[in-house]
Amino acid sequence: MATRPRTRRFLIATGLGVALVLAVFALLPRPAPTPQDLFPYGEIRIAVDASNPPFAVATANDLFGLEIDLGNALGDYFGLPVRFVNMSFDGLYDSLKADQADMVIAALTIDPLRTGDVLYTRHYFDAGLVLVSPDDQPLTAMEDLSGQALAYEFGSDADALARRWLHRIAPFATRPYELPAHALEAVRLGQADAALVDRISARLHQRDHDWQPHFTTITHNWYPVAVPKDEVARWQAVNQAVRELDQNGTLDRIINTWL
Amino acid sequence: MIAADSWLPASLRKGWRWYIRLAIGLYALSLLGAIGPRAPLGPQQTVTTQHPQVCVHTRLIDEVWEWKIQRTLQLVREMGATTIVEFFPWAYIESTEDYYDWEPADRIIRHADNQGLKVIARMGLVPGWARPRESTLNYLPVEAYDDFATFVADFAARYAGVVDQIIIWNEPNLAFEWGYQQVDPAGYARLLQAVYAPAHQANPNIQILAAGLAPTLEPASSPNGLNDLLYLEQLFEAGAADFFDGLALHTYGFTDEPSAEPGFETLNFRRAELLHAISIEYGAADKPMFITETGWNDHPRWTKAVRPAQRIQYTLDAFRYAENNWPWLENLCLWAFRYPGPTYSYPDNFEIVTSDFQIKPIYYAIQDYALGRDTGTSLWLPAPEPADS
Repeated sequence: MATRPRTRRFLIATGLGVALVLAVFALLPRPAPTPQDLFPYGEIRIAVDASNPPFAVATANDLFGLEIDLGNALGDYFGLPVRFVNMSFDGLYDSLKADQADMVIAALTIDPLRTGDVLYTRHYFDAGLVLVSPDDQPLTAMEDLSGQALAYEFGSDADALARRWLHRIAPFATRPYELPAHALEAVRLGQADAALVDRISARLHQRDHDWQPHFTTITHNWYPVAVPKDEVARWQAVNQAVRELDQNGTLDRIINTWL
Repeated sequence: MIAADSWLPASLRKGWRWYIRLAIGLYALSLLGAIGPRAPLGPQQTVTTQHPQVCVHTRLIDEVWEWKIQRTLQLVREMGATTIVEFFPWAYIESTEDYYDWEPADRIIRHADNQGLKVIARMGLVPGWARPRESTLNYLPVEAYDDFATFVADFAARYAGVVDQIIIWNEPNLAFEWGYQQVDPAGYARLLQAVYAPAHQANPNIQILAAGLAPTLEPASSPNGLNDLLYLEQLFEAGAADFFDGLALHTYGFTDEPSAEPGFETLNFRRAELLHAISIEYGAADKPMFITETGWNDHPRWTKAVRPAQRIQYTLDAFRYAENNWPWLENLCLWAFRYPGPTYSYPDNFEIVTSDFQIKPIYYAIQDYALGRDTGTSLWLPAPEPADS
């Protein structure tokens, strides 16, 4: 009879010891997954839509563009070869489901209806609307448009936004053009005070002309990388990679090459 | 005797019943919040327009809130459209055999009527009780044709005076729309025959429209569907002309301008002329036609899309072209006025008003046209040139 309390104490002490060991083990930093763990095929398979210049374009033998350079930069970051899987826009998400690609880099925008299947990383580009004005007479907000002349692409999201702002602030003149490039040219030639256009059009126009205008971000349209939802470690690693490429200037260099 | 509130701290004991009452009151208020804004009918409206052909395809049957139905139809009327095309699924209204839940249809019809809009009703989607267990919603077995006909007749009778045209099915030249069976023009002709007499008995003024066919180049051997021109010919060959009063057409412009020449191997706006020519060939020239889906898309990535300015210009030109050249056309209905929620893909770029009621510039352009305010001048400025050039 005298041994029973001692047995109980022994069992309790053993249980506590095991729990302590497990807790310590759980708290120990785990080794980060290796690139081979993240990309088990020994290469990074990136789905792209090479019909969308300047992000991705195909020639007979090659692919090039901003997203191709970004994909190669990710390959360098992880120390693995990259294989681009070129497909039409409609097939991009399915390529993840069908395990034909490890990630998609294809000017995707964040689609809430897809979040059951994919994880989106931080963005590598923001294609939202920007207000472009001369550097010596910058307009830094939509409120600054009162009394000014605004150029934009007729029928576009910029047009719709401009119409809404006409109800909010003192009047401004509107200059609708057929193309965003025409709206930007109107500003460059002094025929409008600002242009409201998407950032891609703005940067392409800036690249093609010897002109350094002022950009003010008005709306966001982020392009993230998409990774299958069950590949959380891969998503964390790619997210961190995009962050580091942004912080070390690589991303800016790539964007400046193409836009 | 122990008091029921003896377990409470003394500070709460005195007024605990008030806390219960407060909780019940807050709960009742939260239920009120779930009801949402009401949508009482306003004064009877009429459409003001100079172009009564203007029509839009709405997507209201899946709308949760009645006020959104009302607001959508107000915007349709204010744009100058006289008519809407709306889908009324059999599976929604008679989900249980012989038990009709008319409320989803009633609220659309009463608000459309209140806005002075005509409704072209499209019928389809088979309830579970009327089809085999493993089949899709678009599978209608032959033995259920009479059940479907009874539903169509009851619908025609209920909404007589507001709904003058009923479209039987949608794009039956696609296997997907024909319940993933091989498409069958003769089978579709038998469906029209089953529906025609009961619908006319229920409402002598009703017009039964043969379904709009999907614009497609699928050859006869394809498992996916059949070229719409070939399908229409076979439909006439099967004797369907006796069982419809008019023809619905689907004719998208894709990347072509509306005046672009049509052709057997070309999908564009004027494909409607080829479909009309087939009707003449089979002696059905007197049957009116309704383009119940058309339009252009301005998605930046879709290969069949155009620029936003082109979309607006082509849409207005299409209205003008149809009015000047197609006397056989009753309505030109744009796909789609507004969806109940965004798709986050290219279909959103067919919308005229977004699901959160942001009005797109194309709305104002159509409104100017419908109300006769368009001046005929260019919608946009010429490309800028240096002042000294």
